[in-house]
Amino acid sequence: MPGDVISRFASVRLGTRGNQRKEHGFGQVNGHHGEILQGIFPDDAGRLHRGLVTLPCNIVSSTAVFRPAPGNLVTVPDDKLKAAEAARLTLDSLGLHDQGGHLTVESTIPVGLGMGSSTADVVAAIRAVAHAHGAALAADEVARLAVRAETASDSIMHGDLAILFAQREGIVLEHLGPALPPLEVLSVNTAPGTGVDTVKQPPADYDDWEVQAFRPLRGMLRRAIRTGDAALLGRVATASARISQRHLPKPAFEEINAIAASAGALGIQVAHSGTVVGLLFDPRNPATARRVAEATSRLDTIGLPPALHFRTDAVEVRHVA
Amino acid sequence: MSLEMTMSQPLSRESRGFPDYELPRLVRLTDNLHGAAFFLMKLLPARHMLDRAAADGRLKPGGTICETTSGTFGLALAMLAAVRGYKLILVSDPAIDEHLHKRLLELGVTLEIVEKPYEIGGFQTARLDRLRAALEANPGSFCPSQYGNADNPRAYAEVAEQIAERLGHVDCLVGTVGSGGSMSGIARFLRHLNPDLHVIGVDTPNSVVFGQPDGKRLLRGLGNSLVPPNVDHRQFDEIHWVGAAEAFLATRRLHQHHALYQGGTSGAAYLVADWWARTHPDRKVVTLFPDEGHRYVATIYNDDWLAALPGWTGVLPEAPQPVAHPSDVRPSWSSYRWDRQTLDEVLAAANPAARDLAEAA
Ligand SMILES: Cc1ncc(COP(=O)(O)O)c(C=O)c1O
Repeated sequence: MPGDVISRFASVRLGTRGNQRKEHGFGQVNGHHGEILQGIFPDDAGRLHRGLVTLPCNIVSSTAVFRPAPGNLVTVPDDKLKAAEAARLTLDSLGLHDQGGHLTVESTIPVGLGMGSSTADVVAAIRAVAHAHGAALAADEVARLAVRAETASDSIMHGDLAILFAQREGIVLEHLGPALPPLEVLSVNTAPGTGVDTVKQPPADYDDWEVQAFRPLRGMLRRAIRTGDAALLGRVATASARISQRHLPKPAFEEINAIAASAGALGIQVAHSGTVVGLLFDPRNPATARRVAEATSRLDTIGLPPALHFRTDAVEVRHVA
Repeated sequence: MSLEMTMSQPLSRESRGFPDYELPRLVRLTDNLHGAAFFLMKLLPARHMLDRAAADGRLKPGGTICETTSGTFGLALAMLAAVRGYKLILVSDPAIDEHLHKRLLELGVTLEIVEKPYEIGGFQTARLDRLRAALEANPGSFCPSQYGNADNPRAYAEVAEQIAERLGHVDCLVGTVGSGGSMSGIARFLRHLNPDLHVIGVDTPNSVVFGQPDGKRLLRGLGNSLVPPNVDHRQFDEIHWVGAAEAFLATRRLHQHHALYQGGTSGAAYLVADWWARTHPDRKVVTLFPDEGHRYVATIYNDDWLAALPGWTGVLPEAPQPVAHPSDVRPSWSSYRWDRQTLDEVLAAANPAARDLAEAA
């Protein structure tokens, strides 16, 4: 049983490090802005998996505080059910079946847009519980707990690492590089006020051509990351967004794409299980400020003013756990 | 096949095969021209078609495969059938190469040679009839049907992956068209990443694939007397027709200048790709070389055999002759702006040359 393995390792660490239970544990994790690529990918043995490559968004995050106590587990706010479930699973995996406590989760990540609010709450909760008990969980262990708590998880527990992540298994299919090439992102919410239940959605039913078409996207992504080529990254993201459009269509997709192209963006990128679309720019290009301004005013005229504007490399990664 | 079925299909890497022989080696020929040189290109679509058929039960373990082919697709099927334990029946005609014939027999293939062409439909129809008979005589047998099987073009995603990973952004793709699988497949995959990709198909005079009248062809492997459903005509921006003598001479030049020992269709692709790369020096071109030269020692690589070819001049044209319509038959290298049209659209457009003639009369 993987859970038993984790608990054995965790208790060994607890013992050898002599880390005592703390008054409080903290956990924090950044959100994301959907995916650069999402689809079906073979692993090294040729077995097919659902997988994704997340676009980090470090200006939003979830934070959790856990105060251990015997007995029940109380979560605030009490509608953070998956975070509560994740905290319970983490305690169990540490062998602390009788342990409870008080979990508080706060988040600046908008809900239902496909920006990782649910996974962020879950990961922050796991980290807070682990921290409270002096257990340093590896990202892979956090991922497995997160998938058990919410069926499908984003890869934010791996930070800015560029990985192809199997979101329903919590495993890394391929390490692509230390990070994606830096991007400047203009974010549009295509369905303000509605939102998507990102976890309840049925997984996309790709056809035979699409299953194969993800291969060249992955090939170009490897090159984009290896050579730091943001333009290639934009091509991959746009191609993946086009396939996603057949499965979870975004309103005004073609208009946004046309604005991106005419403003000189590298491409567009979508939340494959959400409502946000990102126009991608190269932060190293001096023309970007002008292009972003131009795209912003055109998006205004079609009634979709950008809600966020961020750089993937601008904010320091905060890491607690 | 449903996605669920696809995701749970048996792993091809657990069955025997030749994964390291399937993909081409990429060779930079000039600053902006890259060749993708295959050992035997057909191994890739053949393996993919067999994997898919095995996954959904069309092909049973130890089952029988029937196909009509006298070319490299038959050899690829024979290699896979030999190591995977399938029985293979290939229908061919007397034009089959003697050495290929022996090699297929050594691989355990049952070869059915159609001795006489039909009065109407020639060898092609006679072979299709014989194939039908073989399928009926072997109930439960599987026919890959490379001309119509959509798994043929889809197999080439792996080549598109390799090109995208190794070369990044590509401006132009050039390759020969037989079944249409390789070019239609790769073009569509790469265009998904680059809608502006310029795609050039290479055919040969007297092939009906891009609208010429049917006739005798000396250059084999590309072109066809039928229009295969796997040719997606709308993928092509330009079509070139290359004659046999030019293709063979270009095959020799590919060896002389770049040390690549490939077959005749590689020469045809090289001729066109080299011309386009020279005339577009700031654009990145990739072209497909589908098989190696060893099968052509006594022909393409034999000076005496070449010199005896009808119309042999020993001189390679510098550039194609543009034609106003595909029905303007020329025996030598010509080109047409196809503009991503369907075959019907192209054929429906009046042939301007014929119209001028009619007006002059
Ligand atoms: C030597 C050779 N070149 C080119 C081709 C054309 O490839 P495709 O069938 O994918 O159009 C073939 C097809 O059999 C071939 O055998």
